[in-house]
Amino acid sequence: MSQDYDVCIIGSGAGGGPVALELAKAGKSVLILEKGPWLTEKDYFKDELACCVRSAYTPQLKDEKHVIEEQYQDGSWQGESTEDSGWDFWNGNVVGGSSNLMSGFFYRLKEKDFRLLSEFGKIEGANIADWPISYHDLEPYYAKAETEVGISGRVQQHQYFEPRSTKDFPYPPTIEHPIVNRIDKACEQLGFTSLKTPRAILPKADMGRNGCQYSGFCGSYGCSTGAKGSARAALLNRAVATGNCKIVANAKVVKLESNHQGNVIAVKYFDENKSKQSVSAKTYVVACQAIETSRLLLSSTGAKHPKGLGNNHNQLGRNLLFSAGGSGTGEMTYSKFDKMSAEQLKIRGPFVNRGLQDWYFIDDKKMGGKAKGGTIDFLLRHPNAISKAMSLKWDDNNKLVWGKELKRQLKSTFNTSQDLRFEVFNDWLPTDNCFVSLDEKVKDKWGSPVAKIRIGYHEHDLKVGEYLSQKALKVLKKMGADNIRYSVSGSPPANLVAGGCRFGNDIKTSVLDKNCKVHDVDNLYVTDGSFMPTGGSVPYTWTIYANSFRVADIIKQRI
Amino acid sequence: MADQLFSRRDFMRVLVTAAAAYPISGLAELRSKETSLAVYKKSSVINKEPWLTIAEVQAHLFPTEKNSPGAKDIHALEYLQTMILSPDIEPAERKLIHDGVGWLNDLSKQQYSKTFVNLTADEKEKILRQVEGSNAGSRWLSLLLTYLIEALLSDPVYAGNPKGIGWKWLNHQPGFPRPDKNKKYFKLGKPRYRTIKG
Repeated sequence: MSQDYDVCIIGSGAGGGPVALELAKAGKSVLILEKGPWLTEKDYFKDELACCVRSAYTPQLKDEKHVIEEQYQDGSWQGESTEDSGWDFWNGNVVGGSSNLMSGFFYRLKEKDFRLLSEFGKIEGANIADWPISYHDLEPYYAKAETEVGISGRVQQHQYFEPRSTKDFPYPPTIEHPIVNRIDKACEQLGFTSLKTPRAILPKADMGRNGCQYSGFCGSYGCSTGAKGSARAALLNRAVATGNCKIVANAKVVKLESNHQGNVIAVKYFDENKSKQSVSAKTYVVACQAIETSRLLLSSTGAKHPKGLGNNHNQLGRNLLFSAGGSGTGEMTYSKFDKMSAEQLKIRGPFVNRGLQDWYFIDDKKMGGKAKGGTIDFLLRHPNAISKAMSLKWDDNNKLVWGKELKRQLKSTFNTSQDLRFEVFNDWLPTDNCFVSLDEKVKDKWGSPVAKIRIGYHEHDLKVGEYLSQKALKVLKKMGADNIRYSVSGSPPANLVAGGCRFGNDIKTSVLDKNCKVHDVDNLYVTDGSFMPTGGSVPYTWTIYANSFRVADIIKQRI
Repeated sequence: MADQLFSRRDFMRVLVTAAAAYPISGLAELRSKETSLAVYKKSSVINKEPWLTIAEVQAHLFPTEKNSPGAKDIHALEYLQTMILSPDIEPAERKLIHDGVGWLNDLSKQQYSKTFVNLTADEKEKILRQVEGSNAGSRWLSLLLTYLIEALLSDPVYAGNPKGIGWKWLNHQPGFPRPDKNKKYFKLGKPRYRTIKG
């Protein structure tokens, strides 16, 4: 029987984009099914209502939701639909996925991240595992992502610097906000090594994309120039231009059908008219972002896979990862600086490309000797005006604020300080209390069971987050910031998610093999962040891009 | 009608001494009933209810001062009307905004023998603080404040913040490009089907 396509990819984000581009370039016919609409630079504006207040790029929770399971004081786990709680776990359901909306802080993992268990040993209650590949297997693809996605930065040697096959980044850093001089100075005084954060943002036009226009509204917003290295702008447009790649938007995949050999034979989906469709391919790639990938595979039962595709050993959906850590803020009060300095602090547009990795690995008695640490990134408070103003609506006693008092507070909040924030990224240890399953009752608008997510965390994550936050606070203090506050919690950031289909050499403890092919399915790959057994202590996107380029090479050789 | 009565009673609860707390949470209890869009379309003129009362409440919540814009200056009412008529507003919200006006005027008549628009500034403050004491009343006021803040700081393409008056007042520098009138957020998510021949 002949198939409709060589490759069918479900999901068009950072996991799907590289495979689509590489295979289309190799002359293979590629179909991408994307649940969301196909928005382009012509549709993305600096519209706070669209991106952030009404969440126009993600589903309405009444139509599609999750069930979040949290632990209660009595030890029980209880689920609540996000339609009731309003806790939105969606991230960019559009062509290009959530890579359209990222801030593009791009970091590689480090060699030791690939063998966390061997390097640091077991931690009670955590399912830490070494990766089945090494940094050196992935390095050429990190390098490839730099040129294909367009990553800007400048190489700086430091104690945990990861080896590179190329000398420097293909693009120089984006223009920087004057506040970086204050960060650098404070770090120097503290003996910290202030690093330039690489960004997936083009500082100048290239590859048919415009350079950054520095509007100051980047994270959470779709890019209007194409400078941001989303899978859509950087990869899919080029894939489509080969003539070999077709993208079907508004296509909601509900199931992968498999045959008696256990291999995938068709994808069932609803098109934009809610009509059921079926399409076939030689090879299938799932990249719906971690939670939805596990959900789709769990829903895809068949004769050889009665518990879901690749779930014969009950590993599917397990060891879900978020990013642990915390965040903090300090206010740079204008009145404390001379006029020119204050005006510089007010500047809107350029980036704060600064981070710290001095404690990526820790050797400190306070942490019990050698331990895995993480990354600190600095950024300005998001310039979104409505959300800033909304925070003034309630006073400390939960009474509404209105009238002249509200207006006075608005005037003050918008005109007193530039707020410098930090974010801490450390490993979210995989545990038995963080996983995806299917909810037995709650369904989405197509009638499919929704993903139920248990969001337990490991206490160790908080210890590391606290350790790193204390270092970041020193920088804010040294800079003379006022009203410094921070929080470290086990609450998962829904936009930093991986795991659920970890890769490994043993089918009994992993879903995917080291090529990211489902162990006991011949023609099914997973290329989003689901494959990661441990997450490293950086945002995931560069690693997802790199691994997808790696898997693309493997698929290319097979078909 | 039990749901509606419940909310009304809750709103008016400030009049009842030692009333029991009614089991109302979120907007769930309102979801079953929608206020027809027609109610708004027919009355989208400022001198008719519910707009007359809403404009007055908005002016109280966000007053015009000598050097700063108030509800009228930021086109708060026009913004709210635009949003209420937009396709993706939660029906329960639409209903709550409408019902709250009726409840407020009932309360006002009960206490002052006047509708809300005829109260003095002090009486308005007093009755709105009273209304805030109930769950439904607090939700209603909170919703109106939310739309006021949006009218102040959202892009002028949505009918509030004319010529960026709110941005200018707060020295807020908006991003660019600014939204196109044909690309408002509720038009973006519409299913589109684009394929390029493979």
